[in-house]
Amino acid sequence: MSHLRLYTGIFAALAAFATAQVFVEQAGGLPYWTAFWVIIALSLVKAVLVAWYFQHLKWEPRSVSATIFTGLLAAIALTAAAAYSIL
Amino acid sequence: MTDETSDPRTDGGERVRESRRGAKRTDGGTAAAGHETDHHHGLPAPSSIKRWLVTTNHKDVGILYTVTALFFLVFGGVLALLMRVQLWTPGATILEPLQYNQAVSAHGLIMIFWFLSPFAFGFANYVVPLQIGAKDLAFPRLNALSYWLYLFSGILFGVSFFQGGTFAGGWTMYAPLNLPVYTPNIGASTAVLALLLFVVSVTVSSVNFLTTMHRMRAEGLTLRRMPLFTWTILLTTWMMLFAFAALLAALMILSADRLIGTQYFAATGHAGSLLWAHLFWFFGHPEVYIVFFPALGVMAECFQTFTGKRIVGRKWFIAAMVLVALQSFLVWMHHMFLTSINLEIKTLFMATTIGISLPFDLMVFALVYTMLKGRVRFTTPFLFSFGALVLFILGGITGVFLGAVVLDYEFRGTYWVVAHFHYVMVGGITALVGGLYYWYPKMTGKMYDKFLGKLHFAMYFVGFNLLYFPMFVAWETPRRDFVYPEIYTTWHQLSTVGAFLLGASFLVMFYNLWVSLSTGEDASDNPWQFSTTTEWAIPSPPPLENFPGKPSFSSGSLEFLPDGSDAGDIEPAGPGGREPAATDGGEATTDGGEAATDGSETDADDGEDDDDGKLVTDGGRVMTDGGQPMTDDEQVVADDGTAGAADANAGVADEKATDGGTVTVYDEHAADDEEHGEDHASIWPFRIGLTSFLFLVGLSGLRQGSFPEGLEGGAYLGLTVVAGVGLLWALVGMGREEFHGLEGPFGESWPFTGINNTKLGVWIFLASDVVLFGAFVGSYAFIRVAEGWQNNWHHLIPADHVVLPGLINTYLLLTSSFTVVLALVACEKRSKWGLIGSLATTLVLGIAFLINKAMEWQHLFHVHSEAFPNGWNIGTNVASSTFYLTTGLHALHVIAGLVITLYLIARAWNGAYLDDDQPVELFGLYWHFVDIVWLFLFPLFYIL
Amino acid sequence: MTVPADPIRPSLVALHPAQSGIIPRGTRVEVFQQIFDVFLVLGTLVGVVVVGYMVYNAYKYRDDGGERPDDAPKVGELPTGGGGGRKLFLSFGLSTIIVVSLILWTYGTLLYVEDEATVEGGDDVQIDVVGYRFGWDFVYPNGHETSTLRVPANETVQLNVTSEDVFHTFGVPELRVKTDAIPGQQTQTWLEAEETGTYRARCFEICGAGHSYMTAEVEVMRPSDYENWYANTSAENSSAVAGPSEIGPRATAGPRASAVSQGVVG
Repeated sequence: MSHLRLYTGIFAALAAFATAQVFVEQAGGLPYWTAFWVIIALSLVKAVLVAWYFQHLKWEPRSVSATIFTGLLAAIALTAAAAYSIL
Repeated sequence: MTDETSDPRTDGGERVRESRRGAKRTDGGTAAAGHETDHHHGLPAPSSIKRWLVTTNHKDVGILYTVTALFFLVFGGVLALLMRVQLWTPGATILEPLQYNQAVSAHGLIMIFWFLSPFAFGFANYVVPLQIGAKDLAFPRLNALSYWLYLFSGILFGVSFFQGGTFAGGWTMYAPLNLPVYTPNIGASTAVLALLLFVVSVTVSSVNFLTTMHRMRAEGLTLRRMPLFTWTILLTTWMMLFAFAALLAALMILSADRLIGTQYFAATGHAGSLLWAHLFWFFGHPEVYIVFFPALGVMAECFQTFTGKRIVGRKWFIAAMVLVALQSFLVWMHHMFLTSINLEIKTLFMATTIGISLPFDLMVFALVYTMLKGRVRFTTPFLFSFGALVLFILGGITGVFLGAVVLDYEFRGTYWVVAHFHYVMVGGITALVGGLYYWYPKMTGKMYDKFLGKLHFAMYFVGFNLLYFPMFVAWETPRRDFVYPEIYTTWHQLSTVGAFLLGASFLVMFYNLWVSLSTGEDASDNPWQFSTTTEWAIPSPPPLENFPGKPSFSSGSLEFLPDGSDAGDIEPAGPGGREPAATDGGEATTDGGEAATDGSETDADDGEDDDDGKLVTDGGRVMTDGGQPMTDDEQVVADDGTAGAADANAGVADEKATDGGTVTVYDEHAADDEEHGEDHASIWPFRIGLTSFLFLVGLSGLRQGSFPEGLEGGAYLGLTVVAGVGLLWALVGMGREEFHGLEGPFGESWPFTGINNTKLGVWIFLASDVVLFGAFVGSYAFIRVAEGWQNNWHHLIPADHVVLPGLINTYLLLTSSFTVVLALVACEKRSKWGLIGSLATTLVLGIAFLINKAMEWQHLFHVHSEAFPNGWNIGTNVASSTFYLTTGLHALHVIAGLVITLYLIARAWNGAYLDDDQPVELFGLYWHFVDIVWLFLFPLFYIL
Repeated sequence: MTVPADPIRPSLVALHPAQSGIIPRGTRVEVFQQIFDVFLVLGTLVGVVVVGYMVYNAYKYRDDGGERPDDAPKVGELPTGGGGGRKLFLSFGLSTIIVVSLILWTYGTLLYVEDEATVEGGDDVQIDVVGYRFGWDFVYPNGHETSTLRVPANETVQLNVTSEDVFHTFGVPELRVKTDAIPGQQTQTWLEAEETGTYRARCFEICGAGHSYMTAEVEVMRPSDYENWYANTSAENSSAVAGPSEIGPRATAGPRASAVSQGVVG
């Protein structure tokens, strides 16, 4: 299967990113909020890799990705607006 | 989602099965006579109770929803009358204060959850498949499951009254009044669990309707051309999918607070109270449109039918609704203007609130202008629709008052709000009652008594305004309060009189609809003459399989093509070779003849209606055009055609049909094998509903993570265990049952062409799960912001809470995701042992994940530090609560995944999935999703 | 709420001096009444016009049994729209203008009502309001705690409102002041009473068995009387201990002790 190599590579990248997240925190060189966004960004990249390849979104109609993304937007709207309202 | 699990294709294509069946119209001969001879579909006759327990047919389920919803209307209505009696004079009279609070709360919850939406979904179930030209919903068994979960959740709510009293904190259930400290009755917990079960029902239903409406429309019925009622249901279900997921999160957290002692909403925290308000209103405002949109759809249909006009500005009407549906998720904080939210966010939400009111203006004007130059017929359904629009306009105007924040400050918690939302919500009910009269002839085949219908409207409209208008005058009455200023006594008494008049008007309706069932005139196919939608082109009531052929709009108007004629290009005998008359005539024994019969029958019933005859003619003409596929489905046609799927799948389909005949419990007519199409009966949805109900009754006894001592606690514990096992049995039973739903290809599937129903269903479900976990993460973030993101928060967490267990679990879960990918690769290589090996590895990794987590939790439970002398337990503080509950919910997802893995391994052992790997793929979608969730939980709960 | 150094606010506040001619100002009672009256008149007008137009047309175009038009809708046709779009957009545009201008107009008042200068005036009377099941405590700057809210007439009184148990809403209807009392949170509002006399404060959010009875007296005094009264108070002679509730004493009302520290101090 030609995809097998691709899948294996992605798996390796995922493991590496997870390690990197911990490393960013443990190293302690970065200011908290910089490290925060780096770590969140790494999580996002990992999530996209899993969804795009492991869940085959790459090969599905875009409307499926759009549906999931809409859900994500709703959740982000709730989180961001609620947290902002008490700042 | 199991309805189609044996779909052999994984690339999202569709099976072509219709072609195999050819002209299969087993009940064709009796179509016009209703569905009393449905035995050969495995369904008992409608007169037997068993029929209603096992049916999965959308029309039966629609009737069940409608009848059940009306029962809850009476339930909620009686509670309202109790309140109105209490309000006859200021002060407590017939009810004790707490009883009054219970009546207020239960009235709101029942009307909004157990009456309004389900009432609309009775029609949605019955009418939407007809309007879009589908034989049933995408997942008929899940539809029945939705119904049973709905019914049993309602019964569960009823049970709460007998457990020391039901919930008494208002339908908004504000925190922390919703906690056992303040609402200690077991019944209050039961009410919360009942709502939880209801939300599960709604979620299942949303997935089902979205898949159906997006994937299963007749040829030529593009989204833009869908009837308005179906449009409103489509938008309603999209809103339901996301809004109810947020409510599910809120209710899960609340249940955890009540039953196992988490601390989210406790008064000792900084933000619990506000958190509830955010979660609740994030759901609650879309909910307003969720209950109102179907009413709008009914109004649109009735205005068009009874003015004999097409709606003015149809596409703008639809655009306005889409806009409202999107924006409904961005207005929730206008319910919180008096809380401690800041001025900037108030301004923002004031703007979005005003913005969302404007599209409604457009819709109202569109309806009003539709009457111009029409021929308005004041039938009962029209009177109710017209009345609903008047009431909605008044509700809308008084709503603008509330949009002005300065006025809202003063109206908050008063009868102005009560009057306003009753004008809007009960205004919506008014339209839905119109819908009941509108579709009653279709659903029953009988016409109601028209005089009694109009009498009902007169009493209803007078009663309504007498009930709610005085509330505007007496608006300074505090809401949910039975002590009010003396000067308003007269107004409240008028209101009470109106309430009884409104209630009495429903007695007229019940009498009318009941008696008309046996004595009413027979209704023709289209008793309203100017209605246009597909349900009026078929007999009243429609036969089990709905249509006398395959509905198609590809010619520009409705036409029933002979069964088995797929989108023109697939058939070897393409439409090019079809002469209009010849096709109809050639299959006269089945469909053509049928259609002709219908036509002439209608003519006889309805002397002036000569259109039906024309329809047949039209149809004939139309079929010549059938060869021009619509642009939208060109892609599908090409896919299916080139894949040559038709042949390959016919064999598989045959095999399935045989299975179905022998396995399905209620299908005793094995002789039908050759003809076997869809199944219509399953007892498992009922069993799941019943066992869930009992399980939750048992669980309601839980408090702080343990059952009370003594006999009562023992009973609750016993019930939980027994019913829990029963529930598991029922779930597995439904999973194992062979059940054939509808299979494609379907006409229009935009924008979800190229993915089959089951996979789409899974994805839509996952989208709602995204919001569920999103709301959990959002709650965590909100609480942490309120407590102080960095320093204060870290004081709540022991030093023993370290990164390593989380990191190990990340590796474990990532690897398990990879092995699921390998499992699918093994399927493609047809390697049985590769498949089993990969799945087994997944299982082992998942178990390792759980063991690692268990060890970590054990350690944290027994921490001994200065700050945490008694360990770090679930109820220690709000940080521990968010940690254990969020990761615990994730762990439950893992456990559910492992149960499915076990099931897959067992099946794979017997050689399954090598030809049809879709179940493995679907499991993969779920498992990867669980993995993705962890990818966010790990940094949030371990690193940051 | 307390965000003094906010970048957005100055520009917002700067808006209203220019508009102050038409923007309602004054006490909350005056402001409310002016806006409410305008809304009521316009709302009634719009309601009568629209509903009247509906009823008129429904009657005018009633079915008289005449010939049906050739283009009447038929079963099985694909849904399309009818004509009349221009009229639709005209009405829509008009309603948009009315609604948006009304709301913008009241927004000016919102800024005035919420203005820091209004809300946190220098030497105004500052009173903490604490809701509990089922009554209200009023805590004065000197620590005096009482169950009757005494305020001077014609002076702006600042209220910091919170709750020590569940979600309540504090309101004095006659003075048009209202704000939520939320455990763990503080909300600010103000009132100004023009006439001396006794008013009634009450709870506007369901909070349990005593919700309907959760009231407190508000005594508006002449400023000199108020000064005299206040001079004789102290933390020691507080009168709120008994609690005014008709539904059971507050001692039984939930986990008060823990919440007090959270609620009041926070």
